[in-house]
Amino acid sequence: MTTNSKKEMSKKEFRQVFTRSMTLDSGWDYERQQHMNFCYMMIPVLKRLYKDDKEKMSAALKRHLEFMACTPHLVTLLGGIMTAMEEENAADENFDESSISAVKTSLMGPIAGIGDSLIWGTLLTIAVGISTSLASKGSIMGPILFVLIINVPGFLLRYYCLKVGYSSGTKFFATVNQSGLINRITKVACVLGLLVVGSMIAQQVSITTPLMINVSGMETPVQDYFDQIMPCFLPACAFGLMYWLLSKKVKSTTILICLVVFGCLTAALGIL
Amino acid sequence: MSLLTQTLLVFVVTFIGYMHSYWGSTMCNRPIIVSTLIGIVFGDIHTGLVVGAALELAFLGAVPIGASNPPDMTSGAAVATAIVITTGADNGMAVAIAIPVATLVALFDNLQMMFLLTYAGHMCDKAAEEADANKVERIVRVASIGNKVVLALVVAVGYCLGSTAITDFIEWVPEWFSHGMDVVAGILPALGIAMLAKMMVAKDNFGYLILGFVISAYLGVPTFGVALAGTAVAIILFFKEQKTTEKEEEIDDNEF
Repeated sequence: MTTNSKKEMSKKEFRQVFTRSMTLDSGWDYERQQHMNFCYMMIPVLKRLYKDDKEKMSAALKRHLEFMACTPHLVTLLGGIMTAMEEENAADENFDESSISAVKTSLMGPIAGIGDSLIWGTLLTIAVGISTSLASKGSIMGPILFVLIINVPGFLLRYYCLKVGYSSGTKFFATVNQSGLINRITKVACVLGLLVVGSMIAQQVSITTPLMINVSGMETPVQDYFDQIMPCFLPACAFGLMYWLLSKKVKSTTILICLVVFGCLTAALGIL
Repeated sequence: MSLLTQTLLVFVVTFIGYMHSYWGSTMCNRPIIVSTLIGIVFGDIHTGLVVGAALELAFLGAVPIGASNPPDMTSGAAVATAIVITTGADNGMAVAIAIPVATLVALFDNLQMMFLLTYAGHMCDKAAEEADANKVERIVRVASIGNKVVLALVVAVGYCLGSTAITDFIEWVPEWFSHGMDVVAGILPALGIAMLAKMMVAKDNFGYLILGFVISAYLGVPTFGVALAGTAVAIILFFKEQKTTEKEEEIDDNEF
């Protein structure tokens, strides 16, 4: 077996892959989604490994231009694993090239699954919940905290994923999956997200009625009765209704249009 | 401020917003950031912040997961905030302007992603055939930044041509419509929150949603406080679950 001496990823190259991974979502197209920018991220690695081999370079470029759909903040994990595999491919002539694509295709789904619920689910929920409650009172801390809550974990994840992905290669997912770590993180993140979601119903949905009702000669606001049932009674009802409609697979645009009609009607009648 | 200056500022802010996906998916395309930036350059930060919060909540459910492309909240937020600041209309109107703008621009963006960027992808295929990595790099850079420039231009031109029409519309609007929009702006967050909840709810964790609601509704704890308490709960659960999984493994060993 002929084995060329394996060259390690240099600091500069690590930095290049890291910065290029940040562009992942910017060239999104309908045919293969993030494929262009994924390939762009891999190019520094490919240039080092296949500089003098046109045929291998072409094949490598092509396989990294295949379909790609992943959470941008976690894509470096895939990038690190791919780098490790490409290095092996360059060093070992008997390496099965198709396994690189196979690993990539089989891993991007699970990584995106975790990433989407973690980043676009939990993290965004927390950031929006906190920042809007501050910004709606006119505090500049709202948007500042928003940026920090999303990006401190976002960039840390991006950095460590690249590191871990590169150093442990394909072994990574097997070990982590077995220990149940990912399952646990997702579960716990959902708990945190749901607590914030619950709080947001009370803090951010605002529905009150100006209606007055005549009780034994006294004009009493209807709102008082709702408040006696429970604080934030109408917001909770609105949330319940929306949740029910969504689980009945009613499209959100349909709900929105109905809501606009509903809003104008109730405003005209003076109910809300 | 002349309309030309306004248009230029709208262009710059939307471009910065769109470039978030080139600079690390920082989510600076979200209304809370875009509206604040518009507020800063238009000289009314307070309105920017308040409108940003209202629009952020209205677009809460708009997340780019998988192949779903949500309304383009960046353009919606930029145009709506700029108009609200220059005319002094209220928040409800911001939502009423932002939603149609965001829907229209998303349509245009979809066309870009269907034809322009797909075409760029095919150019990359050709360069890959020639093993020309430098060429692939160039195409990707031009395509990725270029589509943001085009999009920001479309929004700016739209603002320049449409803002007087929208302003006239706002002046003409009857009471029931503008108040109706306030009502919508108040209820709309419930839709976004429900969409988020649907992503996370399972049978065994539904209780936490009720708990979060009760803490804020009855005790008036702000969301930040609930998030901190939630972090504590999450840490406790995380280590508790670790123990139970370890125990299960031990039991497995014994059985063996």
